Amino acid sequence: MKKVQQQTLIGMRDQLGGYAWQDAEISELVDPKLGIITGFQDLLDQLEVLRNIDLQALPPAGDIPGK
Amino acid sequence: MTDSLAFKPITEIAVALRSGEIGAAQLLRQYVDRIEKLAASSKAFISLDLERAAHRADAIDGQALSDSKLSGIPYACKDLFDAQGLATTGGSRVLADNIAQQDAEVVRRMDQAGAIFIGKNNLHEFAYGATGENEIYGTPPNPYDPARLAGGSSSGSAAAVGYGLCAAALGTDTGGSVRAPAALCGLVGFKPTFGRISTEGIIPYSWTLDHVGTLTRSAADAAILFEALVSGCQKSEIERFAGLTIGIPETFFFERCDSEILDSIDRLMAFLRDAGAKLEPVAMPSMEYTRTVSLTVQMPEALSYHNRYLEQRGELYSRDFRAGLALGQCLLAEQYIRARRFIESYRRDLNTVFNDVDLILTPATPAIAPPIGAVEVEVGGISEPAGNAITRYTSFFNMTGHPAITFPCGMHSAGLPIAAQLVGRHHADEDLIETARLIEQTRDFDLPLPDLR
Repeated sequence: MKKVQQQTLIGMRDQLGGYAWQDAEISELVDPKLGIITGFQDLLDQLEVLRNIDLQALPPAGDIPGK
Repeated sequence: MTDSLAFKPITEIAVALRSGEIGAAQLLRQYVDRIEKLAASSKAFISLDLERAAHRADAIDGQALSDSKLSGIPYACKDLFDAQGLATTGGSRVLADNIAQQDAEVVRRMDQAGAIFIGKNNLHEFAYGATGENEIYGTPPNPYDPARLAGGSSSGSAAAVGYGLCAAALGTDTGGSVRAPAALCGLVGFKPTFGRISTEGIIPYSWTLDHVGTLTRSAADAAILFEALVSGCQKSEIERFAGLTIGIPETFFFERCDSEILDSIDRLMAFLRDAGAKLEPVAMPSMEYTRTVSLTVQMPEALSYHNRYLEQRGELYSRDFRAGLALGQCLLAEQYIRARRFIESYRRDLNTVFNDVDLILTPATPAIAPPIGAVEVEVGGISEPAGNAITRYTSFFNMTGHPAITFPCGMHSAGLPIAAQLVGRHHADEDLIETARLIEQTRDFDLPLPDLR
């Protein structure tokens, strides 16, 4: 998987809908300078590992059944 | 009443009320006096409703006192909970004018039990963070050392009880936000089975992970609150440690942990063994990706709720929360669903562990309360963000939904509390609290009170 680019996230913002985050905020996700959010790329890398684990037909977590 | 009652558990205050040693209005007045003296330094409260409290206290009579142990007991709740007529701010500028039209379900239940609501506690903005730092309302300090954090996100709730400003407090726990600050402040923090206590009328952070919890001076008090907050509470049949099998995780939960905390847990384990409990090593599910899974669920859910305010009030959010919400926007739907499927996997795996043990014991936190302003905490030669360290041992159980309780088990040489965490089977909340109460009843793990002169 390639490293996420600022333009990709700007494209998501502009073309897929959602709140109009400032360019500087999006930049911080891909190239953290302020240390507010670090590790977005690491998160994506870990999610890629999880994507390759076969969960078979396991459903998403829901309510916990009663006694 | 003397000031010393402010540091007594509800069980003892209730006796004083029933015996007529003190009246409900007089008790309230004593807490109010302490609030007037310590509210500024503790930064525990965002708002107070003392008129409502006084009205309620005046109405408490002998019948009410005999009906409920919570009658006349002053309590507070995190400022995510609606209380009619007060702003529910979430600790943020965004909702400074968000006046609640009615009480949250848990506030209604506490009211029905006779407890006296006194106000709303400070918190990490919208519960986004475990340090409890809040640039608007200040950062609640630790009652044992004002240079240290109370912890969060239910920081004001922990400070309020820890400073003796109310007898108990309610908070929310999405990754440890009740249990961890309680642990750092020498209190008992209880998070029930997921869904067991209503979240109606409470600003959500993450629907999949949010739990309502209690911060009290004792496990016995936690039991009293739990009984008031749920329907169908049952009496625990646990009477002794003999016959209990307690799992000790082989990995993760005892790693990168302060050595004095490990010593205290060792002492607790020795006590439990001597008292007849069987301690067994248990293989826990892999923790390697749990933080990733949790974040991948948290941030899109938080964004989904806060979307309603972003267009009109987006600039009022703190910069770090906005950044977290922006991250939530940039995750894919399949990643979110997959993370929730991993949560289901964790739940099933932990349920399997509970086939062999009744409870699981861990340290509550790997470190004592960090200094206010500390960005990183170093344990075992490895640094990590302070908020991550505070919740490292608690957040997994928000995903699995198992009930968990943290309680004091020692004092660190730095003069700060050390706590243990017990985790139980789904819906075995009553047994879990009762086990903690049995430990507490021995008085072997009592802490000195904080010096707040």
